[in-house]
Amino acid sequence: MLKTNFLGIELNNPVIVAAGPWNMDGANLHDSIAAGAGAVVTESIVSDTMIDVGPRIACDENGAQNIRLYSDIQIEGWEREMEIAKSDGGVVIGSISAHSPSELAYLASKLEKYGADAIELSVSNPMLESLEVVASHADVIYEMTKAVVSAVRIPVMVKLSQNTTNISKVAKAVKEAGGSGVSAINTVRGILGVDLEQARPMLSTYGGVSGDYIRPMALASVATIAQTVDIPISGIGGISSGRHALEFMMLGASTVQVGTAVMLQGKKVIRTIVDEMQEWMEANGEKDPQKICGRALSNLKSFDEMRYEPFVSTVIGVPCEEHCDRCVETCMYKAIAKAGKTVHVDRTNCTGCGLCTFICPAKKLSLGL
Amino acid sequence: MNIKQIAKAAGVSVATVSRVMNHPETVAPKTREKIERVMKEAEYKPNWFAQGLNFNKTKTIGIVIPHMLHSSYMEIAGGVEEVARMKGYITFMCNVEKDKKMEREYISQLIMRRVDGIILMFSSLDEQHLAQIDSEKVPVVLIGENQENSKACSVKVDCRDGAGEMIAHLLEVGHRSIGFLCGSDPQQEAKEMLTGYRNILKASGLKADEDMILRTENSIEGGYISTKKLIATKLPDAIFATSDEIAYGAIDALKDSGYKVPDDVAIAGFGNNRMSNLIEPKLTTVELPFRKMGIYAARILFDLIDGESRDDKQILLRPRMRIRKSCGHKERIGEMF
Repeated sequence: MLKTNFLGIELNNPVIVAAGPWNMDGANLHDSIAAGAGAVVTESIVSDTMIDVGPRIACDENGAQNIRLYSDIQIEGWEREMEIAKSDGGVVIGSISAHSPSELAYLASKLEKYGADAIELSVSNPMLESLEVVASHADVIYEMTKAVVSAVRIPVMVKLSQNTTNISKVAKAVKEAGGSGVSAINTVRGILGVDLEQARPMLSTYGGVSGDYIRPMALASVATIAQTVDIPISGIGGISSGRHALEFMMLGASTVQVGTAVMLQGKKVIRTIVDEMQEWMEANGEKDPQKICGRALSNLKSFDEMRYEPFVSTVIGVPCEEHCDRCVETCMYKAIAKAGKTVHVDRTNCTGCGLCTFICPAKKLSLGL
Repeated sequence: MNIKQIAKAAGVSVATVSRVMNHPETVAPKTREKIERVMKEAEYKPNWFAQGLNFNKTKTIGIVIPHMLHSSYMEIAGGVEEVARMKGYITFMCNVEKDKKMEREYISQLIMRRVDGIILMFSSLDEQHLAQIDSEKVPVVLIGENQENSKACSVKVDCRDGAGEMIAHLLEVGHRSIGFLCGSDPQQEAKEMLTGYRNILKASGLKADEDMILRTENSIEGGYISTKKLIATKLPDAIFATSDEIAYGAIDALKDSGYKVPDDVAIAGFGNNRMSNLIEPKLTTVELPFRKMGIYAARILFDLIDGESRDDKQILLRPRMRIRKSCGHKERIGEMF
């Protein structure tokens, strides 16, 4: 039921395991495929390997920060790793990263020769690069994409970054250069936190933040690209459940990529996400994942297009049995009052901001006329 | 023991043993280690000459180096060797001391010894000489550009862009008169850097002062002498040198003449040699990816040895700025970290 087509490649489902150390070699890629992924992306392969620092990964309940760099295996070794990865079939996308178009073209052509089904250009890693990530320059992305597209026959997608002023411009450059798709977003430059007693940040340098922290930004990036550029999108950023995956798809992604969830929960999460998607689709009578793609976009408007609705907060199912006054305490317009177990909304003071409908733990408040 | 017995003892096919000897990078590390252990225990040594005759390959490459004493050339060679080792090759290193005649002699020696390919670092050979080697059917890859050579398989760095970026940076931090110390080699790259210098000055509405452009030998001494000459007529705000060595000489000359770097004159080099981060003031420079240049040259060479076409066998690498104290820039905006 979840079978789909992405960049002209048939996938068993739209869940792709993203580039990262969990896909560091052939054996790990093979495991990710066996765990139920529709496709897998290799850890980013570079011109010359670098020594990793340690510690390089930190996490908390909302996500992770990492300063791990790139694949430890030189391109020469990937011939063997690709063979291992694909030994029982499966779709493998080769991720590459470099600073010049000719380097990228070289790495891509080798991976094509070794059996990669597609290429993902990682041009937006926030680690070890200067403050201005490559992905913020549409002209550079155009040159890089064009060089790779002309070097290989397999599809090429480009992984974009939130660290740019106009992601749509960059996605457009990818399309103009002949790229088949984009993936968004890469990790976001950040610091997870500071140990106050030690006066020490969680990791010893700036890193890429991922997980729940970045999902709202990722959803917005995917929607923005979907609304402005006609190009297939692979959505990435804090996906750890079937619902998350479907949210990305409803905003225009035709596939999704899972990375941090695999790192923090293990590869079993892949199957969970796929199963949850399947359950939701069955429960809602959906048969084709491609039909879900972009469905929520018509409800995502610009300010210009929005209508002014005279909505106010209403109280459903009074009286309220909850032992809290959160709606009363947080209403900025002083529109909510509580007398005993009865919650009252002053319709003249209420401006319909909607906050109480999210704040109420019992979901007793909703907006209406 | 012969190859068949080794295969049997290791529980693999003859083809796998052969792959360990000829294309070790294509064998899974565990299998490779096992076969290598069996070979070691049996003291098995493949017959070198038989192998060479069999495959018409000697599994050797040559690398021609301008000068042994130059640490960055050694870094490049290290990159070449890493790939060669992965391919089961050994590398002949020939030091030609920047001597054109010596370079040509070494190349014919390498061809006579039937190397499978040759890498020339900052070669003094022109297109005609390269065509001669080509007629011997020995693949050649160039690293860097000393003589203009746009057709050969090569790994180059975008020197025009690198120098241009540095000049733009010097202008951005407020320097207006910028001296240019143009090294004698690599000739073509120095030319490219000069073009980058002129382009950026022009784009900023400034005219290049020809008295500020001095030709010099590419050495510390060359940098020293040319800087003395330059400051005898006019003291610039900043000096850009086409190599870090020239920049070291320039710093020395300025110190000897009683000037402070960067307070009186800012200095920027090109290359980012190991020493550049150790001298005081630490040298602002354009970093060249030396090791990567070697790695890519070897990759291309082995592609050619494996019979791939020469099309698209040109790699252009991007240099990166290293902003340090010698250019007087206190803020670290844009620096890598």
